[in-house]
Amino acid sequence: MKTLIIIFNIIFCLIFISACEKKETTGPIKIAAIEPLSGPYAAVGKDIIDFAQYSADIINENGGINGRMIEIVPMDNAMKAEKTTELLRKAIDENIRFITQGGGSSHALNIIKQLEKYNARNPGKEVLFLNHSAVTTSFTNEECTFFHFRFDANVDMKVAGLVSHMSKDSSIKKVYLFNQNYVYGQTFKDTATRMIKNKAPNIEIVGDELIQPFGKVQDFNPYITKIKLSGADTVLTGNWGPDAYRFVNALKDAGVKVKLFGIYISQPAGMAAMEKNLLFNDVIVVKEFNPTNPDAPEWYKNYEKGQVEKMGLTPDADRFRFMFEMFKNAIEITNSFEPKDIAYALEGMEGRSIDGGKIKMRKDDHQIHFDMQALLLTEKRDQSIIYRNEDFDMSYVTVGNIPMEDITLDTSCKMKRP
Amino acid sequence: MLSSGLTLIFGMMGILNFAHASFFMIGAYLGYQISYFTNFWIALMLAPVLVGYFGVIIERYGLRNIHKYGHIAELLFTFGLFYIIEEMVQLIWGKTPVPYKVPEILNFPLIEISGLSYPAYSLFRLVLSILIFVAIYRVLAKTKTGLIIKASLTNPNMVAALGHNVPKVFGNVFGFGCGLAGLAGVLAGNVIGTEPSMALLLGPIVFVVVVTGGLGSIKGALVASIIIGLMQTLAVALEVDFNSFLNLLGFEVDKDTTLNYFTSLTISQLSPIVPYLLLILVLIARPRGLFGKRDV
Repeated sequence: MKTLIIIFNIIFCLIFISACEKKETTGPIKIAAIEPLSGPYAAVGKDIIDFAQYSADIINENGGINGRMIEIVPMDNAMKAEKTTELLRKAIDENIRFITQGGGSSHALNIIKQLEKYNARNPGKEVLFLNHSAVTTSFTNEECTFFHFRFDANVDMKVAGLVSHMSKDSSIKKVYLFNQNYVYGQTFKDTATRMIKNKAPNIEIVGDELIQPFGKVQDFNPYITKIKLSGADTVLTGNWGPDAYRFVNALKDAGVKVKLFGIYISQPAGMAAMEKNLLFNDVIVVKEFNPTNPDAPEWYKNYEKGQVEKMGLTPDADRFRFMFEMFKNAIEITNSFEPKDIAYALEGMEGRSIDGGKIKMRKDDHQIHFDMQALLLTEKRDQSIIYRNEDFDMSYVTVGNIPMEDITLDTSCKMKRP
Repeated sequence: MLSSGLTLIFGMMGILNFAHASFFMIGAYLGYQISYFTNFWIALMLAPVLVGYFGVIIERYGLRNIHKYGHIAELLFTFGLFYIIEEMVQLIWGKTPVPYKVPEILNFPLIEISGLSYPAYSLFRLVLSILIFVAIYRVLAKTKTGLIIKASLTNPNMVAALGHNVPKVFGNVFGFGCGLAGLAGVLAGNVIGTEPSMALLLGPIVFVVVVTGGLGSIKGALVASIIIGLMQTLAVALEVDFNSFLNLLGFEVDKDTTLNYFTSLTISQLSPIVPYLLLILVLIARPRGLFGKRDV
């Protein structure tokens, strides 16, 4: 019996010591990525994890950050917001100090709210939230917090970019708004209505539709009839997923010619369902970069080639790259792995862009600002879009530059700093 | 067509098949896979048969054993089946949509009505659906096979006593119903997009059609699906909101109140709930559905 107790004691001590060692600053820097990896949105979540993983791998291959490697810890929220809350708690329990998320604003809001409380109550153990794609504007306005950084333009900025490009195209006279009826689609619609009135008063809004979101609509023909009858020459839409690709396919089938302006129409996860139907109408999207830019510098071309070889994916977003680069910079500048120091360092930091444009994290609201590009989808030019090792024989062509100033908007954020 | 398959199973056999839309999905995926290796026409013939056989196997080794435990057990079984099929499809074909295309030979605008073209493929689907409707209707109403099927559902013991294999009839009807769902999948998958969540999104509406049309009535399923389609299209076209109704009656709603949030909804925005509204109305006014012979 005694020996048994001694053995238990030894085991206990070993566990205790190993647990203590975890807190040392030598192991990998763990970043929890909470995304949907099962259910209907799994494809989007998988892409996000791959993008993040590749960006982290590149940093690790070059020696990591101050000798430590980045480890992405994928966590599956199945697109259920309450599960995100649960996983965040789990990540905190496992001593993970950095969270990244972006698929779905409702999830991001949960993380922001929960971390706000946690960080206030646990000084010295703060957790930092790197938001790569959740774009609801309020996160950097009334909901803004110190430990949240957004590396993607918010809805207002993206719509501002779209409207700014539309105002330069004199062939656009009548625009039809076509959006999904939930918080994101409504914000998109309201912002678009406001901005077209202010910035492009010669464009008339001839129709405005909010549809049942997330693939509930099977038959888009009635909507297309309405668009046709309204005489619109352009459709401005924030739709994504099935709501975007079924619409594009239905337009092709009905033979209706309009210009399509949007953000997520050409999302790679939906491309297989559209293929060349995407080229029937002019599809114009705004992005922070051109994924198939033939004039990209050598270092970026290598980066892109590596991702295509390793993940079978053309980068659809550049923000994962500069997010991790800025994260690395922040640690190297402060020489600290503490989220609080990193957060202070990130404020106002500039990122490395592909073509010499500006990338800057605004200090007031932790919203990134960058030059955007209006891209037109065309037949393959020099380089084509590859998704899951499938070549779609299509390329983006930059048709307009949207300077940072055009999408810089005021913020109502009053941030409390620790 | 999907609905007529479910009518056969749900209405005639009394089995609540939650996984019906999953057979539809399998049909779409098999259609894609077979047309990938050969061509669309072979897929059109082969895929429904395969789905039908799959249905027969499910019935023979799953549902038949559970049948004696009543409806709840069957319901739970098909509910579980739904998830298993969804996960299996994701394992085999991945989580993103597959590039299932309309056959080239039918991929052209056929007629043009007021500036909108109507693709030939849609007409092909329409004609094929009507043919199948007519065929099922005739088989059930006019032939001896139809007689045996109907009889084994109402008086199974009597039919068995006459020397027919009743469980086999049940299995074949279930398989045929699944095959119809599979056929619908092959025909629809290339239009609405073939992806793992398509079953989840389509499931509820099929039940609405079956219940509205009346249990066990093929004619009812056809009429109900046409009515629902028309009503939804009509609703989308109406850009009227409740505020204008109230204005007609002499009321004015303040733009900043919560009430305005509801009254400013247009009928077009409410179009997705139209089928369910119809379902409730039908259940209240005529619980057996439009052409049903017995109550739900």
